[in-house]
Amino acid sequence: MDTSKPAIFVNGGLLPMHVQKRVRIVIQVLGSDRGAVIGKSTDDHQLTVKGTPPSVPLTNFVEVIGIADSEKSIQAEIWTNFGDTFDTYSYNQLCQLANGEYQLLFL
Amino acid sequence: MNLTEGAIAKITSGGATAAELKPTLQVTELKQVHTKQPQQSDRFRLVLSDGSHLQQAMLGTQINHLVKDGNLRPCSVVQLIQYTCTTVQGRINFTGSWHFYASWSAYQQPSPMYSNTGQVAKNDAPPRLMPISALNPYQGRWTIKARVTAKGELRHYNNPRGNGKVFSFDLLDSDGGEIKVTCFNAVADQFYHQIEAGKVYLISRGNLKPAQKNFNHLRNDLEVFLESTSIVQPCFEDDSVIPRQQFNFRSISEVEGMDNNNVVDIIGMVSSITPAASIMRKNGTETQKRTLQLKDMSGRSVEFTLWGSFCNAEGQRLQNMCDSGGFPVLAVKSGRVSDFNGKAVGTISTSQLFIDTDFPEARRLKEWFEKEGRNVPSLSISREMSSVGRADVPKTISQLKDERLGTSETPDWVTVNATVIFIKADNFCYTACPLMSGDRPCNKKVKNNGDGKWRCEKCDQSMDECDYRYILQFQIQDHTSITWVTAFQESGEDLNFSKYEKQDDESFSKIVRQVLFSKSVFKLKVKEETFSDEQRVKSTVVRAEKANYSSQSKFLLDMMEKFKSGNSAPVASNTESTYPNSGANSIGIESSGRPCGPLGSNQGGNKGYIARKFGSLPCEVGQHGNQYSTETNIALGFLHLLFLVTAVVLLAIPQQIALVS
Repeated sequence: MDTSKPAIFVNGGLLPMHVQKRVRIVIQVLGSDRGAVIGKSTDDHQLTVKGTPPSVPLTNFVEVIGIADSEKSIQAEIWTNFGDTFDTYSYNQLCQLANGEYQLLFL
Repeated sequence: MNLTEGAIAKITSGGATAAELKPTLQVTELKQVHTKQPQQSDRFRLVLSDGSHLQQAMLGTQINHLVKDGNLRPCSVVQLIQYTCTTVQGRINFTGSWHFYASWSAYQQPSPMYSNTGQVAKNDAPPRLMPISALNPYQGRWTIKARVTAKGELRHYNNPRGNGKVFSFDLLDSDGGEIKVTCFNAVADQFYHQIEAGKVYLISRGNLKPAQKNFNHLRNDLEVFLESTSIVQPCFEDDSVIPRQQFNFRSISEVEGMDNNNVVDIIGMVSSITPAASIMRKNGTETQKRTLQLKDMSGRSVEFTLWGSFCNAEGQRLQNMCDSGGFPVLAVKSGRVSDFNGKAVGTISTSQLFIDTDFPEARRLKEWFEKEGRNVPSLSISREMSSVGRADVPKTISQLKDERLGTSETPDWVTVNATVIFIKADNFCYTACPLMSGDRPCNKKVKNNGDGKWRCEKCDQSMDECDYRYILQFQIQDHTSITWVTAFQESGEDLNFSKYEKQDDESFSKIVRQVLFSKSVFKLKVKEETFSDEQRVKSTVVRAEKANYSSQSKFLLDMMEKFKSGNSAPVASNTESTYPNSGANSIGIESSGRPCGPLGSNQGGNKGYIARKFGSLPCEVGQHGNQYSTETNIALGFLHLLFLVTAVVLLAIPQQIALVS
């Protein structure tokens, strides 16, 4: 397993803390716009995901791993379909924990 | 109100007349005098007390009706309005009007003053009516007038001392006193047909003995035993004075605090009722039962079980009423409290059920229900009887061993979230008896007779074809520990083991592979059993459901919250055992990427990796006895959470798209 490039769990609110760092985030796809995908994070922030989406159609929830290039956008490298349902609450909690007390466990 | 002390002395000495003195006296005795001429009306002789003296008196016939109505009785306190005193043997005649102050207070034992008069003759014939509550074993002659509230069956019994018959019935008198009357053998025969439930009788010359509390639930320390010399007289008057039934209703919230096996009267609205079901009793016999929920004004509801004949008669009636949308009021006399699943109440042989009767309590209950009760949810003091409720205690597998579950009298029901890691491939099914026993198939293992037939010991029959039922033994593991469990047909099907149809090794292994490493929520019945001198705790899978990651995540988040806030001991110990120091196994399986951080990049490959590693090894994963610090404990739980979240990915078939940027 390749762990040389760890990605930090973020949601919309935590993204600004990790600009220029490798992050991973689950978003709900709202639409695509000029080559970028507009999505809503699990804490209701609107974000832009740049990069080439995969040829496979995207499901409702997608996880994106890439570099955060601004407070509201990510340059995506890896896209993973998470299906049409997702427990956003738990994911949010995970992000909080991963960036809070238990940061050390994740990096 | 006081008795006019000294009045009697005054009157008898001629010192006062009716015009001057209207004393208040108490009637201590009242007897009917038999007249020789039948045309003459009854005469009543009484003894009056003024607190210091007793005096015999005759009741004027104009007021005979007072006795007949039952208004004038022993212990009545009366004021004499009109009376004459003649010195024939010092008797006072009373005529005219009476005033009553009280007809009954607690019956006083004849005062020691009795010895003063010596004029009171012992009388055989006239009844000496007393309230049931005043009966005592030292009472000479007594007579009670009461209504039969319950008439038992003429039961035959067989005990080491021989066999016989017994018959008993309950009595209720006008003061609310209750007592049980029992007759044996010939006496039972003598009275069984005389006694009718609901009728009033005069009973005398019975034996008073201490009550046997386990058969007698009435509020009396005594019981009456009738002999062949006892007198049972039907009473045709005074019907309305004695109530038909007496209840001591307790509210359902009081039932919650009662001990097991307490006998209680309750009343409530039937909010739901289940159809009759057959239940196997401990002694092997089958009986019917129905359960219903009773709600009352205390805001609580309780599960009430109807057994045996109650199930069919009243039970059916209630079912019909509920099905047609009604909410009947059910009053129960002598229901037994049990502490099965919280607190519940059930019928016993002496219970009586009253549906929608016109008691004041019933009326009040109906009013409350119309106004608010209907919509207010009530708190149940009985736990739900579904298997979900029974086993909703989530445990970790190590807790099964640590807490020595299953070693007590009854099996323990628990829920565990675990993954199937190994399935034993031999002996996964057995030949089962397909015959129906009640409404369920027998399912006992049948033996090959040798002549091509299968024999079932329980049903005592042979058959050509038998069912094949799954008996799967497999290991499940969670982050704490590992254990063997057994699943039968039904739970096997839960796990996606399809119905066994034909021998097909290939599809069998395919199914096995599918089930392996699937995570499920298992409801287990844990019980210790003895196998040829060895005590072993066996776990049987009652139900298996696919793990719901969402709810599990929430559960863990909750636990973490509580753990963080350093909450009360029970939770702490729960977390303690959930994240034990030495349970390190599962880590290896769950996140094979540990300790190297998130499971990020190689998700697709993860599952395959695990499968390859453990797939075909029929070995038990050993315990690694590592010591971990508290922090790492949190880490363990945390990674569990992480796993759950990312397991969502594993479930949804991942499209692994790697973009090289």
